[in-house]
Amino acid sequence: MSALPNRRVEDWKYTDLRNAIEGEAVASAPVARWSVTLSGTVEQNELPEIMARGTHGEMGTVAAAHAKSGIFLHVGKGEQGTVHLELSNAGHGRALIVVEEGASLTLRETMSVGDFSNIAIEIVAGPNAQLHHIREANADGESVRVSDYSIRIAQGATYRAHFADFGAKLSRTELHIALEGEGAEVHLSGVSVLGDGGHADVTTRVTHSAGNAQSTQLFKLIAGGKSRGVYQGKVSVAEGANGSDSRQTAKGLLLGERAEIDLKPELEILADDVKCAHGAAIGDLDPESLFYLRSRGVAEPEARALLMRAFLEDAVAEITDEDIRAEVWSHVEAALAELTA
Amino acid sequence: MLEIEGLHVAVSGKEILKGLSLSIAAGEVHAIMGPNGSGKSTLSYVLAGREGYEIISGSIRYRGEDLAAMAPEERAAKGVFLAMQYPVEIPGVTTMNFLKTALNAQRRARGEKDIDALGVLRLVREKAKALHISEEMLKRALNVGFSGGEKKRLEILQMALFEPALAILDETDSGLDIDALKVVADGVNGLRSSERAMLVITHYQRLLNHIVPDRVHVLYGGRIIKEGGKELAHELEAKGYAEIIREAA
Repeated sequence: MSALPNRRVEDWKYTDLRNAIEGEAVASAPVARWSVTLSGTVEQNELPEIMARGTHGEMGTVAAAHAKSGIFLHVGKGEQGTVHLELSNAGHGRALIVVEEGASLTLRETMSVGDFSNIAIEIVAGPNAQLHHIREANADGESVRVSDYSIRIAQGATYRAHFADFGAKLSRTELHIALEGEGAEVHLSGVSVLGDGGHADVTTRVTHSAGNAQSTQLFKLIAGGKSRGVYQGKVSVAEGANGSDSRQTAKGLLLGERAEIDLKPELEILADDVKCAHGAAIGDLDPESLFYLRSRGVAEPEARALLMRAFLEDAVAEITDEDIRAEVWSHVEAALAELTA
Repeated sequence: MLEIEGLHVAVSGKEILKGLSLSIAAGEVHAIMGPNGSGKSTLSYVLAGREGYEIISGSIRYRGEDLAAMAPEERAAKGVFLAMQYPVEIPGVTTMNFLKTALNAQRRARGEKDIDALGVLRLVREKAKALHISEEMLKRALNVGFSGGEKKRLEILQMALFEPALAILDETDSGLDIDALKVVADGVNGLRSSERAMLVITHYQRLLNHIVPDRVHVLYGGRIIKEGGKELAHELEAKGYAEIIREAA
């Protein structure tokens, strides 16, 4: 294979894959496997090699080429289901998830393996379909993981996704999202909570191809120790996609001088009559708030954790499934306790 | 309860308190009055342990212990409470959750058992009613979008909940209309007890019509320049600070 993406490539400026893993290790990685738990009306099949034609980034294309087999999940018209994908064997993996017209799916992804993983997932949401997607990546300073999603959203459909990343040697989540039909909606949110040695990069590419579609993004990053958090988001509004509504917010909290956060929201508008806003800010914990809490008896580490939790609150609140949200909170709180210990 | 001796305090290298001495016994309510820039807020912050307030010399003893050596949270657990002039807004933390966290943090530091969520809720509700604090307010993020009066009432609610031995009220009357002032003053008066000392810091005499002090101290230029009974507050109101300062010079 050709050279791995590295910091000379604009899209990979903050995430140097070549520095994290040998090209040989990528080329020889096995095919990944998931342990799949289904409920409701979801069909699971082997994914033939010819299927899956999503728009992926560099590594997603590599994954699609290496993974000879994959999984294909299908929710029929008007049906409902939930899927839990647990990555159980690292390597190159590929999946296609199709949610037909008026159907709804809650998709949960977790991983229990380290090493090198490179996953390409294609998601197709049919007209008026509802998708709630939550991915959690545990802290693992040894592993290199790349996930590349290609998502197409039809008219009136909603794709709502949350990405909680606790840091790896290198972690890259790439989202290529196309709002293809009138009134399509995408709501992305995520938290990265990084301790010493952690890295997490979320890169989103959202294209409004149809009119009156809505996209929101809310990402919060906390970086402690020597770690690096990255958010790059680009929203493109195509010509004629009038009435597009897009909001993009990314905020970072730096806990020390060895931590780094890079936020890069971008907007490209080719249509008239659109509502677009983006913002990014990096800061420190507010000393006034810290003193207020301590003066009321809350010890410093606990006060710091409380303020960090507060910082993440609105992003985690985007998870609408109550049980999953509670579980994500418990993992976030454990990560914050480590950061403040 | 509180013994301050010859206290000199600097902020960013500038000396603000210049030999302040003050003694408050349990059961007493003392007022500190002073014009802007006299050192009132510096005194309240140094008692609560805020960073950036450097004690150059002098001592602060609280129940015989060196208060200055304690972290802010330790002071709180030992019964020192400062009702702030400008309570901080903290988005993302609900008021109720904050109250529970703070109350139990103090209890834990004293080796007492936590009170469960329902227990705290019951306790807060009971005390909130008298202060006209609604359930809805308790569900909102801490101080976020609260009016000046709501913030001050919430400070007094905390005082009622934590039951401190020494309460310092910093400009609790600022930004309050007369009705809100009365609610806050009633709340404070309800907490007067023979075991509790209070230090009421204010610019105006108006609050002291409602919270009647046992002693009044006039703070000017970082020192107490005059002391007296509750009538001193009226004298100040009648004469103005300039006259009192001239007399004391």
